[in-house]
Amino acid sequence: MAGTGTITEQGITLSGASYAVAGRPILSGLTLSLTEARIGIVGRNGSGKTTLLRLMAGLVAPTEGAVRIEGADPADRKAMLRHLGILFQNPDHMILFPTVGEELAFGLRQMGESAERAAAAVDALLAAEGRAHWAKAATATLSQGQRHYLCLLSVLLMRPRTILLDEPFAGLDLPTQARLARRFATLPQRLVTISHDPAAVATADRVIWLDAGRVRADGPPADVLPAFTAEMARIGEADADADLAG
Amino acid sequence: MLTLTSPVETPLHRLPAGAKLAGLCLATVVLFRLDSPVPLGACLAMLAVLHLALGLRFASTALRLLVPLWPFVLVIAFWHLWLGEPAAGATILLRLVTAVAAANLVTMTTRLSDMVTVIEKIAAPLRRIGLSPRSLALAIALAIRFLPVLSQRMGQISEALRARSPRRAGYRVLIPACLAALDDAEHVAEALRARGGAG
Amino acid sequence: MERTLSHVALFAALIAVLGFVPAVTLPFGVPITAQSLGIMLCGTVLGAKRGALAVLLFLLLVAVGLPLLSGGRGGLGVFAGPSVGFLIGFPVAAFVAGLVVERWTAPVALAALSGSVLGGIVVLYAFGIPGMALVLGKSIPEATGLALVYLPGDLIKCALAALVTRGIAQMRPGALLSRS
Repeated sequence: MAGTGTITEQGITLSGASYAVAGRPILSGLTLSLTEARIGIVGRNGSGKTTLLRLMAGLVAPTEGAVRIEGADPADRKAMLRHLGILFQNPDHMILFPTVGEELAFGLRQMGESAERAAAAVDALLAAEGRAHWAKAATATLSQGQRHYLCLLSVLLMRPRTILLDEPFAGLDLPTQARLARRFATLPQRLVTISHDPAAVATADRVIWLDAGRVRADGPPADVLPAFTAEMARIGEADADADLAG
Repeated sequence: MLTLTSPVETPLHRLPAGAKLAGLCLATVVLFRLDSPVPLGACLAMLAVLHLALGLRFASTALRLLVPLWPFVLVIAFWHLWLGEPAAGATILLRLVTAVAAANLVTMTTRLSDMVTVIEKIAAPLRRIGLSPRSLALAIALAIRFLPVLSQRMGQISEALRARSPRRAGYRVLIPACLAALDDAEHVAEALRARGGAG
Repeated sequence: MERTLSHVALFAALIAVLGFVPAVTLPFGVPITAQSLGIMLCGTVLGAKRGALAVLLFLLLVAVGLPLLSGGRGGLGVFAGPSVGFLIGFPVAAFVAGLVVERWTAPVALAALSGSVLGGIVVLYAFGIPGMALVLGKSIPEATGLALVYLPGDLIKCALAALVTRGIAQMRPGALLSRS
């Protein structure tokens, strides 16, 4: 995927970034430079991978260190819209409007487009997707897979250079997963996929294994994923699920 | 979203919403100035003829919207018959029914989006105290979006309670329902910020 | 800003959803609905300003034609009916209930109960009764007599509002915006 032109060299950089809640560390001293086109971040529940996504997205600020997207601070969300799009795990947490048309137009309006131009862009996109009849549909009546797809469309419409995907396949049936994976593969953007499932990041250029808020392994999927899968199987057999957090 | 706007297209649908609202204000003021049954009855009769001219189906929907008034109609009717003042009672009832029906007529013939546009216009001066018309429109959209979500959540909560208890869920749904609304509010705030904020 | 907006919108939706809950009929035949409980909760949970804004947003949704008042009522007609005073009093009631919980450092259940009684009954009736008197052509004492049938139900709702507010304070202390 290198050389698509939309991926810049600076990418996402973390320098000594840490995040703690009430003194309890969630992420500790991460230093990473992410420039590849397809990046996977794997880890168990509670390993800090969703916090890492929120940090990169500028939704939380690091308690120590710094995060930069293409050299800029992600906390300024308005300025970040062209750089970074976020696809949340649960579409119900993301959809803000009663109808599909309003939902899609919102992002463009946020980027300063007029109402007419936003509406025209939405119609064009839906027509190109073969879903022109969705414009007036109520978001609440879409199926789970359709809602997920709507969220992806609303991110794509804003044409960010990087898209953060949080467990993009969770809760979707297999045909929907396959369709979505095909769609991801054709995108010119840099994709950062966060998942507990090694299969979701198997085709990435680079995989980072996050464990207890630190990088445990970092490299091509062929190196990182076999070790990750073996470790997950070992923990699963050891019945290590009885500890309570915090 | 189910609204009270009538799906039966009438010529009144095409009038500007602002004009209809202004007309309604004027009509209500006039109704409260009239205080004898004959002119009020004439107003109600005119309104009824207007409804019938817009179609039988339209008129019967309008009639159904007046049903919730019956307890008040009953109380006032008995009250004034008891006091032997049927004319005073008729004045009050005719005024009540006519005013409510006139207001319902505007609601039935004005689309939600047109109504929201008028409200944004009326609210424009509030910009000075920090309430932009854009955040108002956003708040309206958010509330409509989350009505079915919260309603469904409430159903799930009461099913979850009943699955583990022989009793009806009753008031015990209230705490989890409030917590669900509070959680959703945090998620929505985050989703808004992810897409550039509400400013 | 985003959090204020989202809390206001979600609680406006919550008031509406509470209106869908079927009414419970008290022994002497007066139906009580959870809707005005929602008004009190907006104040006691969100605090004075956000609570009042949530109620205003709810009224706006009703006014533009959504059938969200209990019993599926809505539209401009309800503002010409006998309940108009109560509707106008709703946001003030939420504001007062919220103000009491915010300012009075008593245990949260007691503050929420007092706030609900002061806002949801004293203040609300102070708006509702004159409205009823005007629309129904009655004197204030006569309208008060008519409104009193709702008093037992409203007292129950005040107690419930206090229980729910305390429950939230116990389960998720940070979520109680009126006390943070």
